[in-house]
Amino acid sequence: MNALPTQVILEDRKITYCITDRDLRVIQASDAAGLLASPDDVLGRSLLELTPELIGSEMVLADILAGKLPRFELAGVNRIADDQRTIYLTLISLPYNNSGGQVSGLIHLMQDMTDLVAIEQRVTQQRNELRLLRDELCRCNQQLAAAHAELQSLDEMKSRFVSIAAHELRSPLTAINGYLELLMDNGAGCFTDLQRDYLDIIQSSTHRLLSITSDLLDLTRIETGRLELVLQPIDLAALLRAVTNEYAAQIEAKGQQCTLLIPDGLPAALCDSLRASQILGNLISNATKYTPAGGAISIQLERAADEGFLQVAVRDTGVGIPVAEQKRVFERFFRASNALAAGALGAGLGLHITRALVELHGGEIWLESEVGQGATFFVTFPITDMPANTDRPEQLSRFARGR
Amino acid sequence: MNPLSKKVCLLGDFAVGKTSLARRFLYHAFDDQYVSTIGVKVSRKSVAVDTDAGVVELAMMVWDLAGSEAFDQMRASYLRGASGAILVCDLTRPATFASLRAYAEDVRRISPDARFVLAANKLDLVRPHQIDEEQLRRFANSLPAAYFLVSAKTGEAVELLFRELGRSLVS
Repeated sequence: MNALPTQVILEDRKITYCITDRDLRVIQASDAAGLLASPDDVLGRSLLELTPELIGSEMVLADILAGKLPRFELAGVNRIADDQRTIYLTLISLPYNNSGGQVSGLIHLMQDMTDLVAIEQRVTQQRNELRLLRDELCRCNQQLAAAHAELQSLDEMKSRFVSIAAHELRSPLTAINGYLELLMDNGAGCFTDLQRDYLDIIQSSTHRLLSITSDLLDLTRIETGRLELVLQPIDLAALLRAVTNEYAAQIEAKGQQCTLLIPDGLPAALCDSLRASQILGNLISNATKYTPAGGAISIQLERAADEGFLQVAVRDTGVGIPVAEQKRVFERFFRASNALAAGALGAGLGLHITRALVELHGGEIWLESEVGQGATFFVTFPITDMPANTDRPEQLSRFARGR
Repeated sequence: MNPLSKKVCLLGDFAVGKTSLARRFLYHAFDDQYVSTIGVKVSRKSVAVDTDAGVVELAMMVWDLAGSEAFDQMRASYLRGASGAILVCDLTRPATFASLRAYAEDVRRISPDARFVLAANKLDLVRPHQIDEEQLRRFANSLPAAYFLVSAKTGEAVELLFRELGRSLVS
């Protein structure tokens, strides 16, 4: 091969070469012929010894020597350079003809493809790492799904237990309450003042237990999706008056001022009258519970800013709710810190159930409060064009309390 | 006299630890960092193999092949002339075991007389193994091949794996 132009081309393309005879012994080599050895070191040596990557391909090389194959190529051959860098070579074997046109040996080209393959390596690396992460994610998701299913099953078991326990407690409690009322009504003159006080305590505790069992039953119905509403057009103004009346004695006993603001001409709301009574009753009950004696409560019904809804606002002048706890008051079993400090009784279920009932109606519930300045709870109910049901709301409301 | 020389290929999906097994066998070393292999890296190690006829010096030409699908087309040219193959799967990734049959078929097509051994790698990892050993045993019997639960990280059973393949190559 005549020197300069060929050498320049080979160097530019990062190609080195060697020529082997028919026995695959090196008879000529370019500088640093890709074999990581100087040409003098490689002359006379076996090609397979210098390029072990060709071991196994002897038959193919023999086919080229026999003129049966035009070429052989092996890409992606890794070598470690002196500086410990990985270099990537492509080996190409071609027939080498003598002046008589006979194949007298093979010419082996070794092209350094490191720049190109290094990019491919980075892409492959990133793709494989992403796949490993995806596999890991899949595995974690499967574990989470299994854990979730187990938790769900435990939760259902818990709900069933609570439901059964609440039902079982409710029956004897109802009997206790009934006989207690009979005792207090029929035997009024037989008791001393102290005994009368004891009976009052028993009755209030019984009411509280009945209320807790009702809440627990509602909670399990909500959590298991078994709570269904009977929606009908309701005169919400009348219902609100009726529910407020039920708390009149409680409000009066604490010397609280209650203002009811209801404009004329409001449309009917589409709601379940029993559950709507429960929602309103819970908010009014809380307002009177947390407002100190002599404080003020205002209850207002109006059209909501959100068109298509009526809005009820129940405002108290009680202890208020710290900002940090305002979002949590609707969580089950959560009790605001100052409610606890004030010694107010409750299981922390009322507002949780109230929110669930409001949302089942398609309405919203929220609050505004400042500590020491009281709180205002807002609920909305959807409006309907249909005329309100003619059932007397007082009856519906009383029925609601008897659940 | 030159020792007997045999070409042995490491095959398996990406990141199952083929390069790590080769490195453990060749250099008694391990590197936690995962670096994808591109193409093929050929290394050589001589081992003394006990046979019925005495100890045979065997030069193993270890071909560490890329596991990525991008090299599926080129794999055939790498497998030519292989005397043995180590099929590698990752005990924590069941899909890597499922792929082994296809690798074995590739080897059989190109080098029908090649011998196999099976390596279930990453034995050191704590998480429960996702591949049932009974499945491994059944697949190994079908080749036929010996199978080993190995760890390139700790070196557990790696030497045994290569020696078993060496033994089957000279026997």
